[in-house]
Amino acid sequence: MFRFSKPLFVFALFFGSTVAIAFENYQGVGRPATPAEVRAWDIDVRPDFKGLPKGSGNVERGNELFEEKCASCHGTFGESNEVFTPLAGGTTRDDIKTGNVKGLSSGELPQRTTFTKVATISTVFDYIQRAMPWTAPKSLKPDEVYAILAYLLNLQEIVAGDFVLSDKNIAEVQKLLPNRNGMTTDHGMWPGAPARRGGIGNGGKPDTANKACMKNCKPEVLIGSTLPDYARTAHGELADQNRSFGPVRGTRTLGPEAAKKAADAGTLDLATKSGCMACHGMKSKIVGPGYSEVIARYKDQTDAESRLIAKVKAGGQGVWGSIPMPPNGHLKDEDIKTLVQWILSGSK
Amino acid sequence: MGNPMKIRAANKDGVTEVKVLVSHEMETGQRKDSAGAIVPAWFITELTAKHGDKVVLTSEFGPSVSKNPYLAFKFKGGAKGEKVTVSWKDNKGDSRTDEAAIN
Repeated sequence: MFRFSKPLFVFALFFGSTVAIAFENYQGVGRPATPAEVRAWDIDVRPDFKGLPKGSGNVERGNELFEEKCASCHGTFGESNEVFTPLAGGTTRDDIKTGNVKGLSSGELPQRTTFTKVATISTVFDYIQRAMPWTAPKSLKPDEVYAILAYLLNLQEIVAGDFVLSDKNIAEVQKLLPNRNGMTTDHGMWPGAPARRGGIGNGGKPDTANKACMKNCKPEVLIGSTLPDYARTAHGELADQNRSFGPVRGTRTLGPEAAKKAADAGTLDLATKSGCMACHGMKSKIVGPGYSEVIARYKDQTDAESRLIAKVKAGGQGVWGSIPMPPNGHLKDEDIKTLVQWILSGSK
Repeated sequence: MGNPMKIRAANKDGVTEVKVLVSHEMETGQRKDSAGAIVPAWFITELTAKHGDKVVLTSEFGPSVSKNPYLAFKFKGGAKGEKVTVSWKDNKGDSRTDEAAIN
């Protein structure tokens, strides 16, 4: 703990002095925020309901508002799983009694929802008021937020259909929230002092302990498992899918050869899709000549590519026997070009 | 008896859209519990929707339908205040009927 707190203290001093310098350097620039500006910015609603605006709304009004502003993304019943996880569902009457959502630990839940996780009703209020609707955040009036929240609570079967939610009774609803006892603070993610010193977390103690090895240590790091060769290309070129800067880079899964192979595999696909492989084999004749036979015949001809492109497009007969090759006008010119180049380069 | 369904019906330009969230376990009969025993199949086999006395939708459900299924459909007609009734039967012989007013 000592190791952490000392630099923090020093940093705080340093930070304080920078602010003072900043003021001296920029005298006459800017002005203190007015109380109205602070009020517009200071909209958070806390678990002890500090900051909760006055107002009320009923389930029915919430239903109308939800249908109008929320249902297109969240579904009429908050059930939609299209963009985000569903809002409602997944809790039982027992959960409301105990304050712990059983499905979270038993594994019965196929899907977590907002109401299986949230431990404080103020958080939902704050979030709707602050961030919803997605396209017009902060556009809802307090009464509308109360109404929408009442509708969600009704969907969750926490309150009845004729319920009116207000700043007066929201604390009662908090006592019915299914996962109200589900929040733990004994881990390092919470900032600030530990709970015993008036903070909320455990003072930033890491969840894992990395103890220095003092005896019988491993002499070297052995790599236990690597991506097998056959799977290296399963997701294409990883290097191209990650940023070229920063600590995380994609490994180069395709070497230059592999890259060519992947590109050729694409061409083979194209050939299959275009119907070529029905009559032509890679090496030997099926109905028409095999590709290696084609190479052998055209290898010394400089205009082979353009002649073959014309033949593939218009069809042909006589060079390889009496069975004609049908015209392939339906193929795109650039596809025909790719295919001919692929055939002449050895179709590997 | 089952748990109540959530039903919303709204009429717009002479077409009524009905949305239903059915509360049902919908066990396929393929799953095993932690002891390895098969969880017996338990699913809705039939679902019917009526507008007043007129049947507007009949459907056969099966084990491939999800738990707590969501269903939406439209029919021509319907006016504000009229009743839409949805009922289901499941393979254990259970059934449930719920209704909602069109708005």
